[in-house]
Order: sequence, then structure tokens, then C-alpha cells
Amino acid sequence: MELTIRKKDLDQIVDHCNSCLPDEACGILAGGDGRVEKIYRMTSARPGPASYEMDPGEQFRVLKDIRQSGRALVGIYHSHPGNPAYPSGIDVEKAYWPGTLFPNYPGAVHVIVSLMDRLNPAVKGYTIDKGEVAEVALQVV
Amino acid sequence: MSVKVRIPTPLQKLTNGKADVECGAKSINDLIDELERDYPGLKERLTDEGRVRRFINIYVNDEDIRFLNKEATALKDGDNISIVPAIAGGSAGATVRT
Repeated sequence: MELTIRKKDLDQIVDHCNSCLPDEACGILAGGDGRVEKIYRMTSARPGPASYEMDPGEQFRVLKDIRQSGRALVGIYHSHPGNPAYPSGIDVEKAYWPGTLFPNYPGAVHVIVSLMDRLNPAVKGYTIDKGEVAEVALQVV
Repeated sequence: MSVKVRIPTPLQKLTNGKADVECGAKSINDLIDELERDYPGLKERLTDEGRVRRFINIYVNDEDIRFLNKEATALKDGDNISIVPAIAGGSAGATVRT
């Protein structure tokens, strides 16, 4: 499995993550067939340097827009300002419906941008499913 | 009186794969009870001690019930109900792959 993303979209994601420092940034990736076609920069309802929670109303409107545009949610991105580009325990916990191992958004690639090295951000993608975290190759085109 | 409920993918195992279900509930509390009657196990997934779970958001048409009357929000014929899991996380307690 891999996720294809345009270089300009990836640059926009990193720009967004930098602009939210020292807090985490978050956003939604829409597209289809493992390809990102549109990026939605999201507002964190509870901004902080080690957590994010998408504004629920904005999230609802964006998910509706994605459906109405014939696209699907293919990914969710957020930044780790001071930690590696690997899902934290909270990232894993929140990927599942509370109390289950059913992913909230099956098939979504969790893209994490680490800004530990501000000059060389690390961007990686993962699936979180069935209690396992698996890296997904990001194909930048 | 009928309302349509959009069931999120992780709960469709409990609705026999149905993405949309209809019921005649007159409030969100009624809706949760009716869903539980028809699809046992849904109530526990949606609520904790009688209240909608913290990271689950329920919308009546385009309105979040937290800004209406919460679980007592009244429903009317033709309403569309959406159950949407929050998207959240963060690097607190981040793990490093070994």
C-alpha cells in the first residue's frame, strides 16, 4: 500500500505545520485510489504542543464536502513539533472507536510531520488497524 | 414519523452492514434506545453513563446536538442524523519505533 501525493501539496502541509508552531497542526486529505487530490487545513479545537482535536463543526462540513465532491477521505495529517514521525499512544487510541479496535476511518493513512529538525521535516504515513501500526510509503510526484 | 441515521463504518458491523437505517424516534435519547433495540450493542458504543461519548459527535441535519438540547434534542419527520467520530490525537506520550 502507498499514498501518492503531489510535491506542492506536501509542501503546503509542511507550511501549515510550521505556521501552527509551537502547537500541533491537523488536516484532512481527500482523493481516491490511494491518491491525494485535495488538502483541507483544519482548525484544532484544543490547540496544544502535544495534542490536537479537529473542530467538530468544521470536520463535519469538510466530510460532507468530500462526499459531495465524489471523493473519499484518504488521509489525516498532523504534526509532532518535538517528537518523531511515528504514531503516539494517543494517536493510536484515538484512531479507533472508543473501546474497540475498529478504525474510525478505515483505510485512512495517518500522515505525521515531525518538526524536530525544523530545516528537514520528516513526513511519514501509517495505517492504524487491528491493533497494528504499519508504515505506508508516500509516493511524492 | 421517520428519521434517517447515517451509521459510521466502525459501527456497521452491528447494523448488518447497513450504512443508513431509519427509525421513528422523537428525540436523540429515543433514537439511541431504538437503535439498541434493533441493533444490540450500539448503545454501549455511543454512550457512557447515559451521555454521548466524549469523542463522538451527533448531528441533526447540520447542527451538533451539543449546541441544541444534547441528548434531549427533539427530532422531526425527515431529519437526517449523522454520527461522526472525532479526529484527534497528538504526540503526548509519543513512542519511538525500536
